[in-house]
Amino acid sequence: MDPLFRRRLERRFGERLTGPIRQRHDETEIRITPGDVADTMRTLHDEPEFGFQFLADLAGVDTGQVMQVVYHLWSETTPDWLRVIADGLSREDPRVPSVTFLWKGAEWMEREAYDMFGITFEGNRDLRRIYMPPDYQSFPLRKDFFLADDAARSPGAGVRHMEQTHAPRNATSATTVRRISAR
Amino acid sequence: MTTTTPRHASADDPRVLLDEQVGVFEPVPPYPPRTEREAEFYTLRDGEMFLNMGPQHPSTHGVLRVVLKLDGETVVDLDPVLGYLHRGVEKLCENADYHQVISQVDPLEYVSSLFCEWSPVMAFEKLLDVEVPQRAEYIRVLSGELNRVASHALFMGWMALDLGGLTPILWSFIERDEIVEMLASLTGQRMLFNYYRIGGVNGDLNHEFMSRLGDWMSRATTQIEANLGLLNENEIFVRRMRGLGKIDSATALRMCMTGPNLRATGVPFDVRRAHPYSAYPQLEFDVPTRDEGDCLARYLLRVDEVKQSIRIIDQCLHQMPDGPIMAKLPRLLRPRPGRAYAAVEAPRGQSATYAISDGTDQPFRMRIHDPSFIHLQSVGLLTPGNLVADTMAVMASLDPIMGGVDK
Repeated sequence: MDPLFRRRLERRFGERLTGPIRQRHDETEIRITPGDVADTMRTLHDEPEFGFQFLADLAGVDTGQVMQVVYHLWSETTPDWLRVIADGLSREDPRVPSVTFLWKGAEWMEREAYDMFGITFEGNRDLRRIYMPPDYQSFPLRKDFFLADDAARSPGAGVRHMEQTHAPRNATSATTVRRISAR
Repeated sequence: MTTTTPRHASADDPRVLLDEQVGVFEPVPPYPPRTEREAEFYTLRDGEMFLNMGPQHPSTHGVLRVVLKLDGETVVDLDPVLGYLHRGVEKLCENADYHQVISQVDPLEYVSSLFCEWSPVMAFEKLLDVEVPQRAEYIRVLSGELNRVASHALFMGWMALDLGGLTPILWSFIERDEIVEMLASLTGQRMLFNYYRIGGVNGDLNHEFMSRLGDWMSRATTQIEANLGLLNENEIFVRRMRGLGKIDSATALRMCMTGPNLRATGVPFDVRRAHPYSAYPQLEFDVPTRDEGDCLARYLLRVDEVKQSIRIIDQCLHQMPDGPIMAKLPRLLRPRPGRAYAAVEAPRGQSATYAISDGTDQPFRMRIHDPSFIHLQSVGLLTPGNLVADTMAVMASLDPIMGGVDK
């Protein structure tokens, strides 16, 4: 935990943060709206006060209520990992600006998040599926994705008997989606 | 005269007529382009052609298909097609409990499995606020560094194999086999070790492991030097690798590269030093870097790393503390709701896990960040302008493992 870093973040991004800055172990977490992603990332990357040259990870998250895009950054200026959460993307049409203008290497990570969650990264010029076949319709890591149902629609058009959905047989999707509250 | 079926001349031999077109591969996908980049790539200009490499090509280190766009024998552009090994590990982990995750992530980077286990285990320990006993940390470092040597040894042989040299891989497999047998006596498995546990490791150091290790350590340095002579002093190898697939440090950072591939461009970023974890703060070692950023630098850097690993192993053996190898934990783990990120320096770069707990005994979300996946996308940046045969050299020098790329 780096309390000085926390103060620097508060001073620079104070009004932009949508929640309190959380610190635990060697991680510092800030939350912003999807619209602020490009600006915030540019500030973190360019300003020598922060100097986050290194994008460690980009992940999509489906909390059951909203989608999130989570960035992990590393810099020499702090011993912590910085976690930036773009919070509150709608599950119907999740959209967030791409960070490929700073890190070209984010392209495939964004493609993966698009493939698995259906999150559209505006500005990524190669946003197509990366793991699943091109005619695949679903987004497998979403919390309302059930393996057996979807496999029946997939080009293989069949379900092996070993593959059982984790949902009870007569449950509706509303009762079976695992949710966490937006923390 | 009537013909029932149309007959086609064989592509291999025009005198042979086939009833139907067989073995004709159409690299252009049978659907309209989905993105700007795809449209650009699948449009041929004058004199260009497509060449399909894989998915069973021996130098793709697994099941990878690469569509090459050629002008003569020069690569103009390429499009890697992934997903042939996709198992949905992240989804499997979300449906497994915390202990089961360890065996699910094992086969990702199957030549260095311990590092695939390490980052999830560390992330879960953060979620649970567990303090790992020092002896367990030292055993992790010891076995991890052994695995790194095994992985780099295989890399050297593999790379030569991709360039057409058969001997080095036979030699490096001798090295790798010794280490793998050693780890088998420690963990019970040669390849997918399933050894790290949340809060420690599965078994203590035993007599067989220690005697094998002592045996190997006494001749490791000379043996590795002898193996290296095969490639380092080979003029064909050195002249072919020098200046090939050059990347500068700014571009490497922009491509999110890590590990030896980044350090070969001169950036001294090593997670073991940049963000210390486990027992590494107590150990002395250097972070070797090179400035050239070409294939030869990436190869030589791994050679330097092997030497540092042997240094670390030596220190581990001397400093190994006594004590328990597991923290006290309940059988059923239910971490408090929260998020944790943990990264380790795997042989290929930063291997990381981002885990979210919702208070149940299964992770709510489990993101696995694999270095091979990141490095493979820079093949498209390094290859254009080179010959087809050099594509394999560049790809081999980046050292991707398709199990990790496809997850």
